[in-house]
Amino acid sequence: MHPPISLIWFFLTAGVSIGLFTFTYFMEFLTLFGKNTAMPKQAVIISLVISLVLIGLGAIGASFHLGHKMRAWKAIRRFHTSWLSREAVFSGAYGFVLFLYGLAYYFNANLFIQHSLGILTFVLGWLSAFSTAMIYASNKFVLEWNTSLTVLYYLNMYLMLGSSAFLSLTYFYRPEFIPTYLFLTFLFVSLGLAFRIAFNIRQFIIPRPTINEALNLPHNRPIRVLDTGTTTNNYCTQEFYYKKGKDLLGSVLPVAYILTFIVPLFLILYAWITGNYNYNFFKIAFASLVLGSFLERWCFFVEGNHVQNLFYGLYPEEGYRLRKGYMERKKTVIRL
Amino acid sequence: MAQFALVIDLNTCVGCHACATNCKEWNTQAAFGPLSDFDPYGKEPQGVWYNRIMTYEMGEFPNTQVFHLPKSCLHCQDAPCVPVCPTGASYKREQDGIVLVNYDDCIGCKLCSWSCPYGCREFDEADKVMKKCTLCIDRIYDESLPPEHRKPACVLTCPARARFFGDIEDPNSEVYKVIKERNGFVLFSDAGTNPGNHYLPRTETKVHVDEHLLKHDNPLFLEVLRRHHVGG
Repeated sequence: MHPPISLIWFFLTAGVSIGLFTFTYFMEFLTLFGKNTAMPKQAVIISLVISLVLIGLGAIGASFHLGHKMRAWKAIRRFHTSWLSREAVFSGAYGFVLFLYGLAYYFNANLFIQHSLGILTFVLGWLSAFSTAMIYASNKFVLEWNTSLTVLYYLNMYLMLGSSAFLSLTYFYRPEFIPTYLFLTFLFVSLGLAFRIAFNIRQFIIPRPTINEALNLPHNRPIRVLDTGTTTNNYCTQEFYYKKGKDLLGSVLPVAYILTFIVPLFLILYAWITGNYNYNFFKIAFASLVLGSFLERWCFFVEGNHVQNLFYGLYPEEGYRLRKGYMERKKTVIRL
Repeated sequence: MAQFALVIDLNTCVGCHACATNCKEWNTQAAFGPLSDFDPYGKEPQGVWYNRIMTYEMGEFPNTQVFHLPKSCLHCQDAPCVPVCPTGASYKREQDGIVLVNYDDCIGCKLCSWSCPYGCREFDEADKVMKKCTLCIDRIYDESLPPEHRKPACVLTCPARARFFGDIEDPNSEVYKVIKERNGFVLFSDAGTNPGNHYLPRTETKVHVDEHLLKHDNPLFLEVLRRHHVGG
């Protein structure tokens, strides 16, 4: 699949926004149980402004993916069937309620109102994240995406981005929470690594359809594509098969792994074990995580193979072959 | 519920691309046009087509067979492209089962094309909306046309008469009968899309000539030779 940069931009901005808000509000929420976890007002305001600006920039960026930006409001119409519609509604509502929560917090409104808005923002933010993930996970014609791992990794990515961003805030405003957030960041990045490895391994073992299945022909007849109707590329071969991306994937994926998981894990572990809470570590870990996540999302798109590529002979090879008298499914061949 | 669709006979389709060109010719100027072209006379010509013809070779040399597969929107009965559309621009008509795109509501998010396993929706970079086969809905209901012309452009132009059009749910229709009699099949039958368009499978025709007919003393020898070997 061709990776749309505007969507990757939205993933990262919404991820940092919702993740950062989650941990910011989580600290406020704990005060309801008598814990002394509240961040100073300045820190909360900074965090809320960052979240608000990022979700706004994300929405603007995501609109570049659309052919008609001015009609984007119409995306609320099919809420009952379309995950994209749900994403649009929830992320818009998240931004709006986040703004209200910011106002309530800034003007010291009634605690009940503050927390009601806070909880609502939290719920809407995560519904938005879930809807975004489901757009991909519910597509049963891109088998690499059609798994719960897509959702798990995606939600966890928001937590990775949020906890590592919040780590920097704790450094300046509540240093006693640094170990807690070092642990949380370590936990989420480790989980992310596990989910991503599982996502990659799964690609080698998923049973894939063959061109024989697509054309409804017996499995024992080899089929070769002779001509696809045009001498050049068309929308289908460009949108669903990104040749340049497939060639680069082998180099980009290891870099994405290193930047998203290895570098942050190393820095966080180093700071955690040695107790050397140097701000530069947190800064670099966050920057590496953001850059790595950008590349990881790029790989996520390029790794996706749409089944319509079967008609063009561009789908990973798989099929049946006659061996020792029985039909054996060929092993999946994926070029990394 | 009525389901208008095409039935394509792979046995007679010669892969001449006449259906695709006539489709483009009609639709680019009709109600759902234009089908934009880019760099049409340059090195990388590209454009929107509702109908594309794929050519495949089946079997291993020397026992191979070439067949052509014209592929346009299959107007699925459980169209996966419809529910994913966030604006409702993509919809399936209840009266005839035709899947259409309302260009005024389409925001060009391309999600419908991601949800189509057949690759039958194409994004028009000029109009910034998704376009697809309409079964020439502006022809089939046009009462100003003579009744025999109220068919999709591809069906009318097919020189091999390989394309049929009608309601596949109506037992009296021609398409219902050919699907039933000639074992019509669909693409990706297990994808859960329940496509409307059907294909009639290739059948190998072999002429069996009894040995005694080929004897020289057979008075009809010359007639047999003329019919089966010269191609009468």
